[in-house]
Amino acid sequence: MNRLEAIRRIVPLLDNAAVISNLGRNTYDLYEAKDRPENFYMWGAMGSTSSVGFGLALAQPARPVMVLDGDGSVLMNLGCLTTVAAYRPPNLVLVVFDNGTYETTGGQPTHTARGADLEAIARGAGMSHTATVSDLDGFARAVEHALREPGPWFILAKVEEATRFARVPRRPIYIKDRFMQAIGTVGV
Amino acid sequence: MAQTHMAPSQSAAETVSHRWSRMVAETLLNHRVRVIGSVPDEVTGHLLDRLQAEPECAVVCCTREEEAVAMVAGAHLGGKRGAVVLQTSGVGNAMNALGSFAVPYQIPMLLIVSERGGLGEFNPVQVPLGHALPRVLDALGIQTYALTTESEIVPVLSGAADLAFSTMAPVAVVLSTLLTGGKTLK
Repeated sequence: MNRLEAIRRIVPLLDNAAVISNLGRNTYDLYEAKDRPENFYMWGAMGSTSSVGFGLALAQPARPVMVLDGDGSVLMNLGCLTTVAAYRPPNLVLVVFDNGTYETTGGQPTHTARGADLEAIARGAGMSHTATVSDLDGFARAVEHALREPGPWFILAKVEEATRFARVPRRPIYIKDRFMQAIGTVGV
Repeated sequence: MAQTHMAPSQSAAETVSHRWSRMVAETLLNHRVRVIGSVPDEVTGHLLDRLQAEPECAVVCCTREEEAVAMVAGAHLGGKRGAVVLQTSGVGNAMNALGSFAVPYQIPMLLIVSERGGLGEFNPVQVPLGHALPRVLDALGIQTYALTTESEIVPVLSGAADLAFSTMAPVAVVLSTLLTGGKTLK
């Protein structure tokens, strides 16, 4: 499955969901698929993206929160899966695009290419709503279900390495202010 | 540094701990801090219990301080004020989330740092990072203030909260061992 095509497939499902995208290729592909003010683009702090989505989901329980994370980044912060499992925010959907590589740093293999199974790790962490998908229809079905049913959800989406570049705004404060205006949290 | 205090009774020591903990918790709550990320610590136990007892306040036990900074940053995006309660060594664990996220994205939060490595320290490995802490934070542009007495708690912590949430910046407040008595050698 191609990651950009996968994100394009789920854009029509997002409605008012806040989406936090991981640094590098997930941010590029989300921007390319659909730049929307409810997107929050991360530019650094590798490993932190799912934790940012978790905090947002706690603070905004009425709004669906989706995280687009990557295998290399989640491997850097596996503890966060146990925290999400312990506190169970029902409105959180963690999507992990797994291409088995550190694509942003030049395609070095991650340990998922050597057998690590992130869905099994998520289940072992205590998350009970999990799925692994590897085709576009399966991915769209899993996301549609996760946005409708209480979670937290962990969707492992197997994708190919597909490097592309997009001119995403690289201005942190602009990204943050636009996002907070869109979800109505400026000055709260 | 409790071992240097010549035997105040156990109950008296607990009263002191409960008192500063209550004052810190009340000040945080008065400044509308509603999300706390923490990693367990003996010194801040009463403080976290106190915050946990407040129904409006979410206290999240994290596996690592970097995770706590990112979680509290996410809560800010969602319109909630947050603080991270951590030890000095935990600031080391949180460095990239602060430097590559909270600071450049102007995400405000209070870092309530339980001091190790200074007055009364018994563990040599706590010293380097404890000693370097104010300079490490300063190098990232994060202002740091210390609470050394009970009378400082309300003015310093209130000022730090205003500074953080008005100017959109992380601000650190160190719980000095002079205030807390530090960790007990067991």
